[in-house]
Amino acid sequence: MTITLAVPSKGRLEELTRDWFAQRGLTITRPGGARSYLGAIEGLPEITVRFFPASEIARELIRGSIDLGVTGRDLIHETSESGPASVSFARDLQFGHADVVIAVPEAWIDVTHMHDLADVASDFRSRHGRWLRVATKYITITRQHFANAGIAEYRIVESLGATEAAPASGVADIVVDITSTGSTLAANGLRVLEDGVMLKSEANLIVSKTADWSPARQAQLDDLLGRLGS
Amino acid sequence: MTNAAMRRAQLEALVEAQGGCRATPPLLLDADPYFDLAGEEFGRRLLLTTDLTGAEYCLRPDFTLPIVADYIAQGAGEPAAFSYLGPIFRQRSNGPAEFDQAGIELLAQPDGDIALDQVLTFARAALSLYGVTPQVKLGGVGMFETLLQQADMPDAWRSRIRHRFGHTEAMDRLLSRLEQAPDLKRSEQPSRDDLIEDVTARMVSAGLSLSDSRTPDEIADRYLEQQALDDAHVPAATLKLLRDYLSIKGDALSALRQAEALAEKHRLFLGPPMKAIRRHLDGLGEARVSFDASFSPRLDYYTGIVFEMRGQGGTVLVSGGQYDRLLERLGAKAPIAASGCALWVDRLEAEWPK
Repeated sequence: MTITLAVPSKGRLEELTRDWFAQRGLTITRPGGARSYLGAIEGLPEITVRFFPASEIARELIRGSIDLGVTGRDLIHETSESGPASVSFARDLQFGHADVVIAVPEAWIDVTHMHDLADVASDFRSRHGRWLRVATKYITITRQHFANAGIAEYRIVESLGATEAAPASGVADIVVDITSTGSTLAANGLRVLEDGVMLKSEANLIVSKTADWSPARQAQLDDLLGRLGS
Repeated sequence: MTNAAMRRAQLEALVEAQGGCRATPPLLLDADPYFDLAGEEFGRRLLLTTDLTGAEYCLRPDFTLPIVADYIAQGAGEPAAFSYLGPIFRQRSNGPAEFDQAGIELLAQPDGDIALDQVLTFARAALSLYGVTPQVKLGGVGMFETLLQQADMPDAWRSRIRHRFGHTEAMDRLLSRLEQAPDLKRSEQPSRDDLIEDVTARMVSAGLSLSDSRTPDEIADRYLEQQALDDAHVPAATLKLLRDYLSIKGDALSALRQAEALAEKHRLFLGPPMKAIRRHLDGLGEARVSFDASFSPRLDYYTGIVFEMRGQGGTVLVSGGQYDRLLERLGAKAPIAASGCALWVDRLEAEWPK
C-alpha cells in the first residue's frame, strides 16, 4: 500500500519544495531527471512521488486521485468552488507568498474600496453601453468575491498572461491578478484597492480529503506528516 | 400509467391549457445575452460550449430569456402569453445539471395585476396536482421603491440603496457605513478642471484610452460627488426607517400592518403598492402567506410584486413575479409589462407523499 505525493514538476517551485523536504530530513529523488515524472523519497518506499504541473496538482487533489501534494493555495480556490472544502492545508511551506488582488487604474482617483467599485459597476453599462470588464485568470475566485461584495454587473475577460497590461491595451477596465510586491501592477499604472486583497496565497502541503483514507493509509500519512514537523 | 407519469401528463395539460402559445426555444443558445442580462453571477451556472469560431453557446438555462427575446424580435407590443415545459441546464452543487422547468410568461397585458393573478393561479394549480399546499412568500419591490423615493435623504443615495435591495449583506454593509459616516471637516476641494487635468495626465502616462473606458470627466465628477456624498449625510431617522422596514417579515397581514404603521409614523404614502399586495392575498386561498420586506431577486429588472412558493422541507418550488423592466433591458423600445413564474418539476415530484 502506498500513498502518492505530488511535487511541482519544474522551476523554482520544484527546487524550493525539494529543499523544504530536505531540510526536514527527507530527500526526494527523481531518478530519470527532469524528463521523468516519477520519483521517490529515500528510505520511505511506501511513498510514491509524482511530478506534475502545479495546477494539475490542485485539480487531482480535489478529485482525490492523488493523496497529498505541494501547490499554491490560490490554485485550490481557483480550480473549483468546492476546492477548499475538498482538501486540508497541512503545512505552510513559507515560500511562494503572493496575494490575489483587485487593481484599478491609478487614474481612478474616486475608486479606493470595493464599495466604490460596486457603485461604478452599477451604472457602467448605462454610461458606456457595455459591462465593466475584469481581466483575470482567477475566474472562480473573482466570481465568488464579487458576489460576496454584491457586485453582479461585470464581465470577466479571461487572461492567461500579462493581465496587468489589459487596461492599457483596452481589453478590460480593471484586473484581478496575483502579486507578491505589487510592483508589476504599479509599473503598469494600477493600484490595489484598500480592501482589494481577495486571497493570501502560499505554497502549501495539501492533503486530499476526497482520497480513499483507509486506516492503514491514514497511518502512513500521519507518519509522513509527523516527520515533517508541525 | 404510474402516478408520476400521470402527474406529469396533468402538468403537461395544465401548461397547454394556459391559452397562450406553447414555446419551445432551442436547446443551444447564444451565451452572450445571458451574461449581458444577468452578469457573471448567473454566468457561472451555465453549461458552456464553443463553436469553431470561438463563439460561446450555452445549453438553455431558462425559458424566459429566449421567449422574451423572440417576442421582441417579432415586434413587441401586442399582448402575448407563453407557456413552457421542458429541460433546462444549470451547474448545481447537488443534483443533475439537467432538469425540467415549467412556467408561463405574460407580456404586455393591459392590467399587470390581473396578469399576476393569472400567474399565481397557474402556480397554485400546478402545486395542487402534486398535492402541495405551499408556503407563499411575497416581496414588494414596488413598495420598497415607493418608500425609498419618499424617504428623506440626499437624492444621490437613493439609487445606491436601491441597487443593494435583495442582497442582505451588501445592504447591511452600506447602511452600516452610512450610520458611521464620519463628521470630518473636508479640506478645500480642488476644482473640477484641475481634477480633470490631473486624471487625464495619469491616464496618458499609463497609456490608457481617454474614451474607451471611464473618461476623465466621469472620474472627476464621481470623485467630487463622493466628497459631496460623504458630506451629505443620510439622516439617522431615515437609516432607522430603512432598517426597521427591511426587517419586517412574517405572516402577511401582520407584516403589512407593521409596514403601514411604520409608513404612517414617518408620514410616507405606500397606498398603491400596499393595495396591490393586499388584493393578491385574497386570491391565495388557504396557503400560508408571509411577507418579507427585504425579499427580492438580485436582478434589477424586477418590479411590483415578487413571490416564492415553498414545499414541506422549505424547498423553493416556484418563483416568479413582475418584471416590467426586463423587456427594455433586452432591447424593447418602450417599457412593457411582464410577469411570470417558473416551477421546478423535479422538486414538485419529490414533494408527492411516498
